[in-house]
Amino acid sequence: MNATLTDRYIDAATRSIPEKQRPDIAAELQERISDEIDGRLAAGDTPDAAERAVLTELGDPDKLAAEYLDRPLYVIGPRYYLTWWRLLKLLWAIVPVCAAFGVSLGLVIDGQSFGKILGTVIPVVIQTIVNIGFWTTLVFFVIERTTKSADIGLVGEWTLDRLPERRTKGAGFGDLITALILLAAIAGAVLWDHFIGFVYLGREGGWMPFLSADLWPWWIGGLFALLVLEALLALAVYLRGRWDMMLATVNLVLNIAITVPALWLLGRQQLLNQDFFPAIIPESAETVTTVLAALFGFGIAAVAIWDSIDGYLKARRAAV
Amino acid sequence: MSENEALETHLQELRRGTVVLACLRLLDEPGYGYSLLEQLSTRGFETDSNTLYPLLRRLEKQGHLTSEWNTDEARPRKFYRTSAAGNRLAAALTEDFRAIATAISTLPEKD
Repeated sequence: MNATLTDRYIDAATRSIPEKQRPDIAAELQERISDEIDGRLAAGDTPDAAERAVLTELGDPDKLAAEYLDRPLYVIGPRYYLTWWRLLKLLWAIVPVCAAFGVSLGLVIDGQSFGKILGTVIPVVIQTIVNIGFWTTLVFFVIERTTKSADIGLVGEWTLDRLPERRTKGAGFGDLITALILLAAIAGAVLWDHFIGFVYLGREGGWMPFLSADLWPWWIGGLFALLVLEALLALAVYLRGRWDMMLATVNLVLNIAITVPALWLLGRQQLLNQDFFPAIIPESAETVTTVLAALFGFGIAAVAIWDSIDGYLKARRAAV
Repeated sequence: MSENEALETHLQELRRGTVVLACLRLLDEPGYGYSLLEQLSTRGFETDSNTLYPLLRRLEKQGHLTSEWNTDEARPRKFYRTSAAGNRLAAALTEDFRAIATAISTLPEKD
């Protein structure tokens, strides 16, 4: 009997088996293969054909070893799959946006061009997405294998309390993302305005900012703090699954905290860059400034009022 | 999935537990893998060897079987035998199987 194929098969199958169990499994496999070959010989096969048929039927040696050892043949099994997938989705939703925002903020402050910023941010975002996917999966892969799929409290038992609230309009995932992108855009625009400018006035004029330079750093810093709170509010609405009276009130307070100082500064002519309108519209600058400043002020107030009312409307609708 | 494939899958699921039961009862007399495979086949429990051998190891790990190497003959063989825990499991499975058979016999049937 040509033993080399069988020997090679046993070697391949026991290669990944822990030292302690290896001799036992190798001997058992040898017994099994010999018995099955004998069975085929008795049925009239040639020795060579019998060995080939038996080994072919055993299949992939690594798969066989996994079955003998009860090793999982998957990356993430059913016990951890949903926890893994939920965490991954959450991280993917939050981290790449934060990374993009942070990196572009640094580059804007550094005075880099738009193309340069885009060229840096896109690879960062792709790397972040890939890294999150890889490391999260690796952690779950290791946990699953070290615990032998036992319960270690990572996956709590599902109870009725975990049943999500019915999502009402205005509290979905899309709303959260829209709100976060809008806030990031506002923060980005303010920074852009400060470090680069709002309008380009040709070679001599250079870049002209829209907001007053005196607002930096304290007023702008305060604005950023409020924007962060707005982002947290959007997240809270999403996690809660709906607007309620408390969240609507927080929204109202935040709107007041942004609007009242803005209008106060506007009234004292400290909000906008006093050179802005005269530079753009040299004729009758004073009238234009007054009219546009008034429109701007009404615009801010209108948006804030509508947004506050909208919060209460959504809270009332969700309560029904 | 064709009707035949679906039938195969369902039959496999239906038989899975019965192989465990048959092994535990047959191994009251010590036996080794291949002999057990043949016994199962002649008694009407068609079993794939890729299913049987890992199953024996699993049952041993759970304490339902004990094993011993027999080196008296030219070919060393691992003999399995049902343990006390295995006998209790076999009794419980047999009882449950009878209950299921009774329950099935009372189901409405198309002739």
